[in-house]
Amino acid sequence: MTLGETIRINLGAVWARARVRVVASWREKSWVVGETIFPFLAMSAFVLVYRGLKAPPIYEAFVVLGGAMIAYWNNVLWSMASQFFWEKEQGQLQLYLITPVSRMSILLGMALGGIAMTTSRAVVILAGGVLLFHVPLPLDRALPAFGLFLLTLGAVYSLGMILSSLFLLWGREAWYTATLFQRPIHLVSGFYFPVRALGSVAAGFAALLPITLGLDGIRQILYGEAAHGLLPLVWIPPIQVALLGIFVFLAQRALATMENLGKREGRLTLRGG
Amino acid sequence: MRRTWEVMRAAAWLGWQVEANWADPFLFAVYAIAKPLSTTLILFFMVRVVSQGHATAEAFLFLFIGNTFFLYVTEVLIGISWAVFRDREDYETLKYIYVAPLHLLPYLLGRGFTKMATATLGVAVALAFGGLVLRLPIGTPGTNWIELAGATLVGLVSVAWLGIILAGASLIVARHSINMNEGLSGLFYLLSGAVFSIDVLPRWVQPISLALPFTYWLELIRRILTGRPFAGPLRGVSDGGLWLILLGSTVALAGAAILWFLHCERVARARGLIDWKTNY
Repeated sequence: MTLGETIRINLGAVWARARVRVVASWREKSWVVGETIFPFLAMSAFVLVYRGLKAPPIYEAFVVLGGAMIAYWNNVLWSMASQFFWEKEQGQLQLYLITPVSRMSILLGMALGGIAMTTSRAVVILAGGVLLFHVPLPLDRALPAFGLFLLTLGAVYSLGMILSSLFLLWGREAWYTATLFQRPIHLVSGFYFPVRALGSVAAGFAALLPITLGLDGIRQILYGEAAHGLLPLVWIPPIQVALLGIFVFLAQRALATMENLGKREGRLTLRGG
Repeated sequence: MRRTWEVMRAAAWLGWQVEANWADPFLFAVYAIAKPLSTTLILFFMVRVVSQGHATAEAFLFLFIGNTFFLYVTEVLIGISWAVFRDREDYETLKYIYVAPLHLLPYLLGRGFTKMATATLGVAVALAFGGLVLRLPIGTPGTNWIELAGATLVGLVSVAWLGIILAGASLIVARHSINMNEGLSGLFYLLSGAVFSIDVLPRWVQPISLALPFTYWLELIRRILTGRPFAGPLRGVSDGGLWLILLGSTVALAGAAILWFLHCERVARARGLIDWKTNY
């Protein structure tokens, strides 16, 4: 196969895997409601809690932004990291493995499709927060915030690719591990309040997660000093770029290692494990 | 009746194996308690950071009790409906339920028992954490623990029937991601006043909140554990009144759940959805 053919076939795989998700997210009507209205109501609960606690209004903006970012983290956890587990359970994983494309192309397709699916939810949360709860969202700073958001998505989904390689071999522990990661990461990522409130040690560890840093940076861009930032804003984009590079490299290595291990141990086609 | 009980017992055993037999008991216990503990910690930090000294100890106790018992709603409600997706799409066993001499409804209720057990462990750990670490006054000298167990049980029956309603819907819709589950539990979190008094809700939403059994259930549990009323609109309702409303709404919910589930089951079979696969 020539280089041109290899590139073409891998781009085709990215497109095909992404398209399934994009088409599905609009074809299933119940998904449109389930992925937009319900999560918005869940976020609304926190805004009302904050009002009940007489929190400063800026915290309502924090929780709306956090609600939008939670959507992406949940997507990474449940539709990237553990996706190969679901595919294995359905007997579809081996079909990916016999195709002449890179596993990274399939994961990239999953990531792009997942981002497209999740963006509808994030947009509804943001729009609802602005229109119904009147949270401030300064549009004049939206462009740099969007730039950092894209960098953050790159790093977060690359982390999802690493996790998917680990989950490749697991059985039901994949489900529990995803559950285990969910709430604690909601806590330490500062989805509900600035992460600095956790104390410098806990916040320092939390900053190893790209979603923590990304959310911290986006809040700093939009709300300045009021965001109680963890790291100086100028540090965050280079760190995210570095994390993106490191995670993609590690994902590639981890995927190859885990696939070989899985083949040797005969666990790639094991269902109900 | 005996046959139904046997089905529920077998389904509960199966549910337990699916939930727990992949790990040793210690590791499984760690997994089971991580979620309730982190949820409690989120709440603790949220109140400390966000309220900036405005929240009183009583307000935190209100949040803590509601949030802790709401774990039952998230675990059992979501657990029952998720069993439909798992059996239909991953294990591909839902169709075999139909060729076996049993009904799907008691089978799913049995699967819910497993979630009740794991949720009970989580609630117990969260309450112990609240009492021992956060030094919250969980219970008073006059707390009737038998009444608390009874109220918890009735609330669980109510949650299980709501789970059946959701399971019915799951039979006729595509597999939803965890966002749907999160969203639905968030919806009930919002409406039942689990973490804030329902007076904070917009006026037009309050009647919806007052139509949910969970609203009365959480208020009753708070009263049993602290000896005083919390939710503004329910202050005028006596404890006996709360019990009556809770029992009445649970019976009504059970009737509605059975009718809805049977309807959804008929639709799923008519449309050939029993072995549908939708994991995109």
